[in-house]
Amino acid sequence: MTAWLLRRLAAAFAIVLAVVSFAFIAIHLAPGTPFLPEEGRPINPAAVARLRAEFGLDRPLPEQYVRYLAALAHGDLGESFSQRRPVSQAIASAIPSTVRLAGAALVIDFLLGIALGVFQAARARRRSDAALTSATLFLYSLPVFWLGLVLLLVFGQWLHWLPVGGETDVVLYPYLSFFGRLFDRLKHLALPALTLGVIGAAGTARFQRAALLEVLGQDFIRTARAKGLTQSAVLVRHALRDALLPVIALLGLALPFLLTGAVLIETVFAWPGLGKLATDAIAARDYPLVLAATLLASVAVVLGSLVADVLTALADPRVRLTA
Amino acid sequence: MLATRSQSSAVALTLSLLAAIACTRRGGCRDEYCGTLVVTATGSITTLLPPLSDAAAERDIFDQIFLRLADLKAGASTIGDSGFVPQLARSWEWTDPLTLTFHLDPRARWQDGPPVTATDVQFTYESYVDTLVSSADMTTLSHIASVTALDSLTAVFKFKDRYPEAFFDATFHMRILPEHVLRNVPRAEWRTTPFGRSPIGNGPYRFLRMVPGQSVELVADSGFFLGRPHLRRLIWRFATDLPVAVTQVIAGDADAIEVLVSPPNIQRAEATPHLALYPYAGGTYTFMRFNLRANGNATRPHPLFADPDVRRALVLATDRASMVQSVYAGHAKVPPGPIAQMWTWLWDIPGLAPPPFDTTQASQLLTMRGWRDTNGDGIRDRAGVRLSFHVAVPTTSAGRKQYARLLQEQLRAVGAELVIDEMDNAALSEHEHAGTFDAALESWQTDPTPSSGVPQIWGSAGGSNYGHYANATFDRYVAAAAKAPDPSAARADWVAAFATLDRDAPGIMLYALDNVAAVDKRVTDVQVRPDSWLALVRNWRIPPDQLNERDRVGH
Repeated sequence: MTAWLLRRLAAAFAIVLAVVSFAFIAIHLAPGTPFLPEEGRPINPAAVARLRAEFGLDRPLPEQYVRYLAALAHGDLGESFSQRRPVSQAIASAIPSTVRLAGAALVIDFLLGIALGVFQAARARRRSDAALTSATLFLYSLPVFWLGLVLLLVFGQWLHWLPVGGETDVVLYPYLSFFGRLFDRLKHLALPALTLGVIGAAGTARFQRAALLEVLGQDFIRTARAKGLTQSAVLVRHALRDALLPVIALLGLALPFLLTGAVLIETVFAWPGLGKLATDAIAARDYPLVLAATLLASVAVVLGSLVADVLTALADPRVRLTA
Repeated sequence: MLATRSQSSAVALTLSLLAAIACTRRGGCRDEYCGTLVVTATGSITTLLPPLSDAAAERDIFDQIFLRLADLKAGASTIGDSGFVPQLARSWEWTDPLTLTFHLDPRARWQDGPPVTATDVQFTYESYVDTLVSSADMTTLSHIASVTALDSLTAVFKFKDRYPEAFFDATFHMRILPEHVLRNVPRAEWRTTPFGRSPIGNGPYRFLRMVPGQSVELVADSGFFLGRPHLRRLIWRFATDLPVAVTQVIAGDADAIEVLVSPPNIQRAEATPHLALYPYAGGTYTFMRFNLRANGNATRPHPLFADPDVRRALVLATDRASMVQSVYAGHAKVPPGPIAQMWTWLWDIPGLAPPPFDTTQASQLLTMRGWRDTNGDGIRDRAGVRLSFHVAVPTTSAGRKQYARLLQEQLRAVGAELVIDEMDNAALSEHEHAGTFDAALESWQTDPTPSSGVPQIWGSAGGSNYGHYANATFDRYVAAAAKAPDPSAARADWVAAFATLDRDAPGIMLYALDNVAAVDKRVTDVQVRPDSWLALVRNWRIPPDQLNERDRVGH
């Protein structure tokens, strides 16, 4: 297990390095340059040149790359061009927001997805199963930003049940009690988390249904039924335990979906997380911030995959972690 | 029965809990000086140090924190000083043709206590023209030879030459900075100074807090020497794009937005009962710029656009009146030159009109210059060169993307091919700066006067003249207009300059937007100044009977 873990960590390091290197080259070669004023305002070439020199952008690209890696090795992510503060600060302030959003979405995704999958498997090939299969397929095929816009329009703009953006109420939040703040945060979290979570749940449900149906056809289930166990006992105590294994593996794979979804959803809902930070940074050609966001996303995805493998091994003694 | 009763109790308990947790700490503000205005804006704040930025959102915040010596009245002329009202300066006089003396208001104070002095004025000028600060306003201040402090309340400006907009240049481009706070910060480090994230000003509002990328909050200075602001708090919240910002104001999560831009947004806001719309003259104009030099090689002429007849033909081939109607449905006008609606005095001049839409003349011009469709593919060609070019269009502008498609159709009718290259603003700016473009759809924000913006974009020495248009006659007329002693003389020179531009056709002037702001109806006394829509926000108010929980909280 230790050898396996070390090899996986080494591979993970190589993947992250490759991703960051590719991102470094791509962002520097992409058209556009930092430090330009907003559109329609005159450019002061002297100011732009001075800032480029100050941030080392006037040096050859290979030299910039080596300097970047050297700084990275010392834990220095650089200074944000657009926020005029260390990148680590900008990232640190955005991470909690994305974790809250992705965490809530993950809970909705798996609780709702597993529940739907179990419900469908228990009523396999009946009308309700067919209806839910169509519904989950429809949801799964929806673009995440489109669903976000629809929910925002219905629950935010038309019904006024929920706020349309931000993480807290900018006016009232500082003056709310502890529970008031909690409630305010939940209200703001509802729509973006629901958007991400529901689409994820549609995929999880389909996966869970298929896994459960496969298990339900096995001999030990027939034995359990022959012993006179109720349908729910067979489903929950015997079949689900086995059928959860592939779904656990999905946990790690859900991270990339959540992170890419967060980029779009955070933009739609003005959610101040990593996704919005990265979007703003790309528009401003804020290289250090773009690279830091890429680094963090690649680390999260690689670690997510690793965690999924470990969880699967822990849950299923038949799975061995071998090098 | 028992179960029902216990269920009812549980529901009641849950409801009580929900009510309790939703409670705010009740605020007691109920008078004339309450009120919170949440402004939604796109973009974000880089720094709140005026010489380092002139982006729209930062400008709005600067208006509240940092005063100028004098400010422009709404719609007033920038020539002379009659259009200005005192701010930090109580009065001023020309002591000789090149010397302007300002007498500061002794009541003006920095928000950390000290009075505003002439030393602050001198320090501000020196900062704005320092190459280490590299302010975008450096060039507009180049007519000023020096600024000195005669005594604590008297600042003296010496000019290199006398010209009609000298007073405007001395006051409009500089917001006075606190010398006592910034003198010890090396100017090379101003970009990162903590002052930029927590400024101390002299205006009607104090800085309270900033969450980078999300919001900025200001609070009224109740002791402000020009009168206490009516609204107690101003909060900016930033959205990534315009549709998100518009949705926030329509849903009631924000109270005000500067400009709705497109007819669908305006219709959505009109249909929202709690919003009032405030149309005002826009400060931008949009055009298609031709690059007169070869794409990527500024030493060679452009194969199409070096020929003024080809440019003129393309101008004549575009039906701008129908385009403006189809895209902006009456919320924009076709300008008779590079003219924003804010320059109202340039819109009603007889003889100054947009070029006609005349495809026959356009075709004749092209044929006369040897452009013919020799291979029957619908596109003209000459000596193996097709009448085809690329236009760079920003992805962020829905209006310009629509225009690009309409232009494509209209130009095809006279045998010209337009290929649309959509790109983000950063890429577009870089292409223009490097000269690697054929044509570009651009919008320019303008100052209250054409004297700075027009030569900047169209003058042969203009820093933003990316198309390399150069005509000494045009430059002469523009210089004469800037030196004209009164508005009527300036108008005559501008007419001559724009007529020259019209003949040379370095671009197609497409539209000048009407701006429409949306503000919550509980806000009254709303006055919008076209060059800076929130400049007068300290006079906006929310009557006590209109206050809601958001207005009263936190007092």
